[in-house]
Amino acid sequence: MGSLLFLSSGLFLGWTLGANDASNVFGSAVGSRMLRFSTAAVLCSVFVIIGAVTAGAGASGGLGELGAVNALAGSFTTALAAAATMTWMTRAGLPASTTQAVVGAIVGWNWFSGSITDLSQLSRIVATWVLSPLLAALFAAGLYRLVVAGIRRTRPHLLRLDANLRVGLILAGVFGSYSLGANNIGNVMGVFVPASPFQELSIAGLVRLSGEEQLFLLGAIAIAVGVFTYSRRVMTTVGGSLMTLSPLAALVVVVANALVLFVFSSRQLSAFVVALGLPPIPLIPVSSSQAVIGAVLGIGLLQGARGVRQIRWDVLGRIASGWLTTPVIAALVSFVLLFVVQNVFGQQVYRPVAYQLSPPALVRLAQVGIPTEALAMDREPVQGAVRFRGWLRRQVRLDPAEEALVLRIAEIRPVSIHAEGLRALEDTPLSPAYRVAVAALQGRSFLHPWQLAEALARQSPLWSLPSAAPVAAVKRQEAQLALVLDTFTAAPEAAGRLPPSPPSLASPQAEG
Amino acid sequence: MSTPALFAKTRFLEAQIDEFLDKVSEGAIYFQRGIELLLERGVVEETERKLEQLMQLKERANELRRAVVNTLYTEMLIPDFRGDVLRLLTHLYALLDATKNVFQELLIGYTGAIEGAEAIAEVKELVAVVAQSLQEAVRGARAFFRNPEAVRDHINHIRVYESEADAITLRLMKALFASDRPLERKLLARDALEVIDGLADRAEEISDELSILAIKRVL
Repeated sequence: MGSLLFLSSGLFLGWTLGANDASNVFGSAVGSRMLRFSTAAVLCSVFVIIGAVTAGAGASGGLGELGAVNALAGSFTTALAAAATMTWMTRAGLPASTTQAVVGAIVGWNWFSGSITDLSQLSRIVATWVLSPLLAALFAAGLYRLVVAGIRRTRPHLLRLDANLRVGLILAGVFGSYSLGANNIGNVMGVFVPASPFQELSIAGLVRLSGEEQLFLLGAIAIAVGVFTYSRRVMTTVGGSLMTLSPLAALVVVVANALVLFVFSSRQLSAFVVALGLPPIPLIPVSSSQAVIGAVLGIGLLQGARGVRQIRWDVLGRIASGWLTTPVIAALVSFVLLFVVQNVFGQQVYRPVAYQLSPPALVRLAQVGIPTEALAMDREPVQGAVRFRGWLRRQVRLDPAEEALVLRIAEIRPVSIHAEGLRALEDTPLSPAYRVAVAALQGRSFLHPWQLAEALARQSPLWSLPSAAPVAAVKRQEAQLALVLDTFTAAPEAAGRLPPSPPSLASPQAEG
Repeated sequence: MSTPALFAKTRFLEAQIDEFLDKVSEGAIYFQRGIELLLERGVVEETERKLEQLMQLKERANELRRAVVNTLYTEMLIPDFRGDVLRLLTHLYALLDATKNVFQELLIGYTGAIEGAEAIAEVKELVAVVAQSLQEAVRGARAFFRNPEAVRDHINHIRVYESEADAITLRLMKALFASDRPLERKLLARDALEVIDGLADRAEEISDELSILAIKRVL
């Protein structure tokens, strides 16, 4: 129940997304009375849920790389900060994007918790803010030309064209809803993924829903509620857009928007692009409103001077300014709210993460090719990634990828496998085959999470995944390891106090 | 409305619009044939049959127009064009109505107004040109539904036929008033020429309407 309370801010964010963004996929069809609102709402809700549950992990993972909010109260506050920013900016008449608010709020959490904001990931995300409207403009311009050429060639009757457009708007709306769910669920539930309160759920042995998928399902239902309860008003007053659109242009805009959302959420497409020797597509939630604006602009520019005159450039200017103001405001709101929730309500808004260059960590670093000569062994754990990185930089200069590797290897989370914990593990959804491997480690202690992972992999092939394992399997493995770590970890505050004495914290490396 | 029902309704409406345009087109043919008969043989059974045919056409066209407009509005089809379609069909129906009225007037009040083989040949030429302008208005309307880029050509044809009709009317009038016929016969013949020429003017009004609609329709 408490977990659901913490999820409420995410659900609120989902509701606002459903209320506002459903108009991007079905607004033109409903606004022009080509489709009934009830039909649009049902189709939108169903396909948002399907998209979120089946393909939501890709874009959501992109946000996770920016900052893994690791405490439920922190996730609650981060989502609340994003929702509050959105609500305030919308009420103030300023254009705001949920994506930008969420990114700002996560950066605020990183700032508050002393975690590192991955600048390369942040720059990739910012690049998509510019790229997604540009891509939408290109898609829209290309599609519009294609469709117009097709119509000129086939010369359908005005009524036949109208019927085809109606069917096209429904299909495009369905595709748009699926893509919206797949891409934007990351905005709604992305911050809750690292601190997910759900365990894997099997329904009649037929359908297996991971904790992440259950989160996405819940978020998607919140979006659907938003669609049903509030989007009608937004859909029927699509007048305030950049320029007046014909039904054909509206169809092209919806398809272009859906394509952009799909491009930034499809793992398969990203893998295909990599196979062609191109850089991977960043899988990140993008703003559907901005994609729509890009698409409208693309069609406007295609019509030459006449189209350019029709575009309301002041609206465009305000939207572009939102790229800067929304994340900055969200980061500030997030920081202040985290401070309040932690100090006034006494909630743990982040789990402190400590780092230490222990002897096994140094051995491991040498094994993976990091020059360890210049690294002094650190006798005391350092609290917070930013502080540890500062200390590390004073020792040696590494490139960002090496730095990230050192951080991963140096992270400490002392665990002792004990009988009490093993009994507690029986009440978790971890299957007996996996538990046997954990039980075999009874009496052993580990300082770093990777040490536990390696020890488990040595105990059972179940805990060892090939390097080419599918993403879903890797995610499941990570969730299972996190479950073991949570079960056997000492109290979080203790992590910083534990003496990092290698002999007392025997590690497989040290033993070996 | 389900998708198959939507397409079935669309096909039915397309057929109704096509039939309506066929009726207006047939009206132009009957008008031309009727005037020719009137000029050649006067008011005979065959000439009156043409008026009957025109009246039946008008009735059917009116039914079709009402049915099409009703369906467009009740089924909420072509939301951005149904007003235009309503206006276009109303204008075309008014043209057919005017065609019937002109023929009826000539049949009743202007029998024998045109005299002389040369004048009759010229009036036949005028009626042919006017009928062509009516046919072009129908073709323009068909193009509006299927191929809006082609509307421009039909508009141009209507304008050419209209000015040609004006030229023939002027020539006929000059010849008429230069003749030594009694004034009341001259005035009667002038009125007959004016009502025939007036149909080409109405076709030109439709061409003005079509030119605006085509701009809206062109992608």
